[in-house]
Amino acid sequence: MALMMGADPGVSAFPEGDNIFSWVGTIAGSAATAYEGTSYRLSLAFPGEYPYKPPKVRFETPCFHPNVDAHGNICLDILQDKWSSAYDVRTILLSIQSLLGEPNNDSPLNTQAAALWPNQDEFRKMVEKLYKPTA
Amino acid sequence: MQLVDDADGALDSWARFCDLSDELFGGAGDLSAGPRLAPVVADLCARGLAELLRDQFIRSLEGIFRSNAVKKFWQQFHPYCNSSAVERIKFCVQENWPEDILSKALEDICLEKNYQEKCVLALVHSLQSYEDRSPHRKSKALDCSSSLMPRYQLMVSSVLLTTLPLSFPEILNVYFKKKLEELNIMMAGLDGSDPFDNHDLFERNSTSAWHSEMDIDGQEPGISESRNLVKNIGKVVRDLRYLGFTSMTEDSYSSAIIWLLKSKVHELAGDDYRIPVLGCVKKWIQAVPLKFLHAQLTYLGDSLDNESGSSGLKSPLASRPSSFPGIGVPSEALVRWHMRLEYFAYETLQDLRIGKLFEIIVDYPESSPAIEDLKQCLEYTGQHSKLVDSFISSLRYRLLTAGASTNDILHQYVSTIKALRTIDPTGVFLEAVGEPIRDYLRGRKDTIKCIVTMLTDGSGGNANGTGNAGDNLLEELNRDAENQENVDYDDHTNIDEKQAWLNAESWEPDPVEADPLKGSRNRRKIDILGLIVSIIGSKDQLVNEYRVMLAEKLLNKSDFDIDSDIRTLELLKIHFGESSMQKCEIMLNDLIDSKRTNSNIKTSLSKTSQTVGTVQEETELSHEVLDATIISSNFWPPIQTEDLTVPASVDQLLSDYAKRFHQIKTPRKLLWKKNLGTVKLELQFEDRSMQFTVAPVHAAIIMQFQEKPSWTSKTLATAIGVPVDSLNRKISFWTSKGVLTESVGPDADDPTFTVVDSTSDFNKNSTVNQLSERFQITEEEGESSIASVEEQLRKEMTVYEKFIIGMLTNFGSMTLDRIHNTLKMFCIAEPSYDKSLQQLQSFLSGLVSDEKLEMRDGSYLLRK
Repeated sequence: MALMMGADPGVSAFPEGDNIFSWVGTIAGSAATAYEGTSYRLSLAFPGEYPYKPPKVRFETPCFHPNVDAHGNICLDILQDKWSSAYDVRTILLSIQSLLGEPNNDSPLNTQAAALWPNQDEFRKMVEKLYKPTA
Repeated sequence: MQLVDDADGALDSWARFCDLSDELFGGAGDLSAGPRLAPVVADLCARGLAELLRDQFIRSLEGIFRSNAVKKFWQQFHPYCNSSAVERIKFCVQENWPEDILSKALEDICLEKNYQEKCVLALVHSLQSYEDRSPHRKSKALDCSSSLMPRYQLMVSSVLLTTLPLSFPEILNVYFKKKLEELNIMMAGLDGSDPFDNHDLFERNSTSAWHSEMDIDGQEPGISESRNLVKNIGKVVRDLRYLGFTSMTEDSYSSAIIWLLKSKVHELAGDDYRIPVLGCVKKWIQAVPLKFLHAQLTYLGDSLDNESGSSGLKSPLASRPSSFPGIGVPSEALVRWHMRLEYFAYETLQDLRIGKLFEIIVDYPESSPAIEDLKQCLEYTGQHSKLVDSFISSLRYRLLTAGASTNDILHQYVSTIKALRTIDPTGVFLEAVGEPIRDYLRGRKDTIKCIVTMLTDGSGGNANGTGNAGDNLLEELNRDAENQENVDYDDHTNIDEKQAWLNAESWEPDPVEADPLKGSRNRRKIDILGLIVSIIGSKDQLVNEYRVMLAEKLLNKSDFDIDSDIRTLELLKIHFGESSMQKCEIMLNDLIDSKRTNSNIKTSLSKTSQTVGTVQEETELSHEVLDATIISSNFWPPIQTEDLTVPASVDQLLSDYAKRFHQIKTPRKLLWKKNLGTVKLELQFEDRSMQFTVAPVHAAIIMQFQEKPSWTSKTLATAIGVPVDSLNRKISFWTSKGVLTESVGPDADDPTFTVVDSTSDFNKNSTVNQLSERFQITEEEGESSIASVEEQLRKEMTVYEKFIIGMLTNFGSMTLDRIHNTLKMFCIAEPSYDKSLQQLQSFLSGLVSDEKLEMRDGSYLLRK
């Protein structure tokens, strides 16, 4: 697990407390997307078999997104069947960051968001409406 | 009829017995009724009324005793007992007050008692004569007669004790106090008049026979006088005992003795810690209270013997459990008293010293006798914990406050270590006492600086030392060096392990406080320097601070005399290991190299200057005036650089020098730190000349005035290449010296400075001087060419800044502790996190003031 302390802008993660298997991550919405100016808190739980099994990643901050359900679960291929032990925390977070800007509308978890996606202005409004930044 | 007759006879005899006994009691010294008592008693005894008779006799005696003697006796004390507390003091002040009354009252009551005893004896005699005549009843009657006297004694003392006024013990106390004081003064007088003789006397007494005193005829008036006094007291004591006040008497004179002892100890010990007092106190104990007690015991013993001889009776209450077994050998009681008094003296002295331990330690080297005393006391009493508690609390109260300077605290700490080392070589108590000081010092920012100053102070020039603690530390360093010379220091890696192994081997449980001597067999090494270093936590910090200080010192040296520094460094090297002091060593080597290089370059330059002499003449400056300190910047602490344009002539000199250096030491190049160093210069005016040793900036400024006599600050600033405000600060040095004068030009922000050419001008401008003094002060403060340790720390901490910010982005807000712990946990690689909580805190507050972080409710969070 490479430590990555704020090397990339907009993405950072940190082990939570004393437990090295549980991390807290933060990603900022990239510019020129509907998520610009937002910042999402995520939790990463690493299984014992890591890096041979993917970590469980969830949004802690409510996120209005086609591939994120109401509980914060993320539908992302690399976190499921496409997992490779070459991925690390940094790449996971960067993938999620890019997922925000480019959702996979073919397999939506949040159909409302998927339906709204083509209308970016409305989508932006919904994102802002549901966005509750953590302290 | 026989029965009635019998009863009548009995009644008759009883009445006669009553009459006779009344006569006996009322007879005022006339015991003629005694013999007549015998037939009546015999008759009554024959009728089996012996016990009744005895009871009656005692009861009537009691009635008389109570109504006459006791009442009279207590009446003597009524004025005192009935008075208020304030009036009582008046009584006490009266010269012979308790003595007169007491002795008179005692005499009276003893007389009375004596008489009554005779009455009792009369009865006893009659009973005995009856017993002799009727042998078959002997056993029972004997019982009767022999128990009569003790019963009487018991009666007397119980009557007295039940009617005892509350303040009687007090009176006794006052009495004994006064008497003892008198005795003490008498003894002191004796002591003063003929100290040697008395000294001898004491010695002789203590070794051979303490109480031969009573038998020696008074050769000196003082001794016989004191003997009289003791006799008087003895009489009172005897009378009191006779009345059954044994325990009360003992209580009161022992309390008086102890009171006197206490005041004596306080008087002797006082606030002077430069002389040992324990010996004096011991001597005094032998001289006054013991002599008194001894005399008392002898006297009582004698009187007891006399009494038993005359009356053939021994009152069980009056006799001491341990009377004198023999003359010439100190009695058991006396020995017991001696021990008791000595213990008390030790305890008193110890309490006194412990209470003042703080002051004692403040003037430690002078007060070592007091420490020595305290040590002996503690050995005797074993109350070390008392010392620790009281000393810690006084430390908290008096030393570890914001008002105390770190230097003072450190000095006190060193003294404490030394003092407690004397008291307790095992160091257990030192550890307990030192802990709060160390904790407190850790919280102070300038602790390290002070320690380093203390370490190096002694080398400042007077290596012989002036006796301050700084020298002591250096001495400590020296001593340490001697101690550790045997240890092989070539393999650094093994030192710690070796040390640890030695420590482990020499470990033993801390001695129980009851027996602190036990541990002295295998003493813990108390190393002052080690203790001091342990305040800081790691030696690296200390070494760093030392490096900064050394750098500062070396840069300000104009000659290359660094012998004392080398010496200090060597000592430190022994203590901290060579590797940690390596950088410092390089710094010193730089200086030595500089000296060599300097002369090398100078000779080579002067050779060239002879060949191209014409060019050199123009500059008017020869290379002889230039001494360069060449430093290897990698090993020196970061040096603050300021831009400075030196005058062209000097600049020329410098670049020549640098060129030459490059030629000699290729591929190395010389980079000038023009703002560092010192310049010695002489200013010549019309009527005077002045010499200064100044910083290069100052020199640069004043040299500009060579070209034209007045400059505005702005033009001057550009000429020498420093910012205007810093120029203004620096130039005030010259105005304060009266070399330049400041006048406000057309632009208020741009004052003009003019050279003061003659003293008369200077006087005119003296007011200006005073104004600029102010600047002078402010300027001095900010003048340090070496980046301070804080700044270094800041630089090191910036590595963690990203880390901390990353943490805070993810966790929102964190407390100082949590940040500290997280850094400790995750920053293990590369620059591993080794900072203290305080260092982190100061760094974080730096970030807060840089508006990068926010501090809310004790936790830090990112500023949005």
